[in-house]
Amino acid sequence: MSLARPARCLFCSFSRAATQSTRVPRRQFHPSPAQLTNRKPKFPNIKAPGTPKPEDFKPYTEEEKAYLAKEYSAAQLEAVKAGEAAIDPKDLAEQLNERDDPMKINYVDDFSVIEPGIDRHVRAPESNSDYNFKLKNEEDFVKDFGRFVAEMPDDATGADFVRFTDELRLTHGKESNELNPHSALVPDLFGPGETIDEPRIEERKTAAEKGEKERSLQAEEMTDALKSLLLATGYTANQIRDFRLKTLVSHSVVNQTRLGKVRRAYRLSIAGNGNGLLGVGEGKSDEASDAKTQSQYRAIRNMQPIPRYENRTIFGDVTGKVGAVELQLMHRPPGFGLRVQYLIYEMCRAAGIHDLAARVSRSRNKMNTVKAAYEALMSQRDPEEVARARGRKMVDVRKVYYAGKV
Amino acid sequence: MSLVNLASVCAHLNNATKARLGLTSIPNSNLHLKLCQALQNSGYISSVVRGGPTPPPTHPILGHPTANDEVEGVEAITRDNVASRRLWLGLKYWQNESVLRKVKMVSKPTRRVHLNVEELRRVVRGEEAGYVAGLRSPGESLYLSTDRGVLEARECVEKKLGGLVLCRVL
Repeated sequence: MSLARPARCLFCSFSRAATQSTRVPRRQFHPSPAQLTNRKPKFPNIKAPGTPKPEDFKPYTEEEKAYLAKEYSAAQLEAVKAGEAAIDPKDLAEQLNERDDPMKINYVDDFSVIEPGIDRHVRAPESNSDYNFKLKNEEDFVKDFGRFVAEMPDDATGADFVRFTDELRLTHGKESNELNPHSALVPDLFGPGETIDEPRIEERKTAAEKGEKERSLQAEEMTDALKSLLLATGYTANQIRDFRLKTLVSHSVVNQTRLGKVRRAYRLSIAGNGNGLLGVGEGKSDEASDAKTQSQYRAIRNMQPIPRYENRTIFGDVTGKVGAVELQLMHRPPGFGLRVQYLIYEMCRAAGIHDLAARVSRSRNKMNTVKAAYEALMSQRDPEEVARARGRKMVDVRKVYYAGKV
Repeated sequence: MSLVNLASVCAHLNNATKARLGLTSIPNSNLHLKLCQALQNSGYISSVVRGGPTPPPTHPILGHPTANDEVEGVEAITRDNVASRRLWLGLKYWQNESVLRKVKMVSKPTRRVHLNVEELRRVVRGEEAGYVAGLRSPGESLYLSTDRGVLEARECVEKKLGGLVLCRVL
């Protein structure tokens, strides 16, 4: 800013209108972001610089070939040449670029981390396999035998030779590959957060990291119940902390015995990840807090994926009936919100459903309402399945009209 | 056009799918035949064959009766056998559930419900129109008797036809 500018403009720069800020409408009546810019981009798509082009992949120069000849045998060099010739530089450039074809994956993932529950286990994290093993040839066996003879004690017995044959390895490479090979019957599974590059990540952590984690777990009190929950579900303690838990029903129940009435606390909780998983759990115990944790852990165990249309509402209108509670859940357009009673509202919040209407008829018992709503949510029919069952093609018209931008 | 008979057909189809039958029969009539052919066009049932009191012979390769069986053929209707003719329907099941879940009459013998194109458009969009609830679930359809035969509600909208609402299939 120069001093030559008038003072008024100096003050203008402090005022609100002069500041460069994002334009946001004063009141938003729906959660979807407002379309402030024109749909059509102002500039044509330009590829980011630095992406490889087919011209970048040149054949080997004579100099490089001479260097390769030092490293590889003639047969290997032939194989290298054949390999180079087999791959079109155009393909190579395409593979290294970011994909823009219709079959591209619409999220960014390098597929190095395997998430339990989302990804199937495809590869063992730390397997005994060694893909570079080589079978020993006759010369190697002669060498092994020579070493045995050289190292043989003076008073050699037949047992020494038997031991030598037992320990004699038939391959070069990792020992466990030969002695304890990978079996498809007993696959090695990834733990949460483990990657192919970093197997057994928990064991490799430094003491400080572990100590930090232990401390945080102590705060949560790592009980036996929680431990078994972690073991059974495969979730980490952090993931469980992030779940949306809510105790919806709480009352006491009475068992009439000849000694009198035995009162216990009953709790019904729901658990969800806010992104399509929902579970309902019940707990009963002498202590109310016990019953609560019991029901919450059971809810986490019972979490199941709920089909969601466009990740916001349900597929079609569904009904549920438990006891005398009969209810109907109805799908609604975007921005409608959750116009449902509070029990179903909490369930929708936990499951990540944003647009829904519900009608609970006949009885409105809390416990049975939750159960009936869960039953209704699980009874949705997948349109893909309907189409396959009827052998007819089904098209989501919303995706056709709005070019898939819904 | 007897809606009484049609109502019993709807009830019979519901019972047959609940009993997991592969083949069932209904009384023969032109309305029933047209409705069944519409159901077959929509993929709810696998085959519609006119036969006698006993099931028609199965196709040597397909293993179920077919209308275009070249070996056995379909017996022609005569004055003598017309009373004993029945429609044999092949029912479909997918992943342990019947494809034809629920057939429900909309018009009743005592109250016939007619919809015009405007009302049908609303029904197909999922809104209620004239005592007929909208089609709001995936795979739900409504069949109408029009002057161009028994058609599905969406087909009627396409062809700009109204008609007598027969039944709703879920």
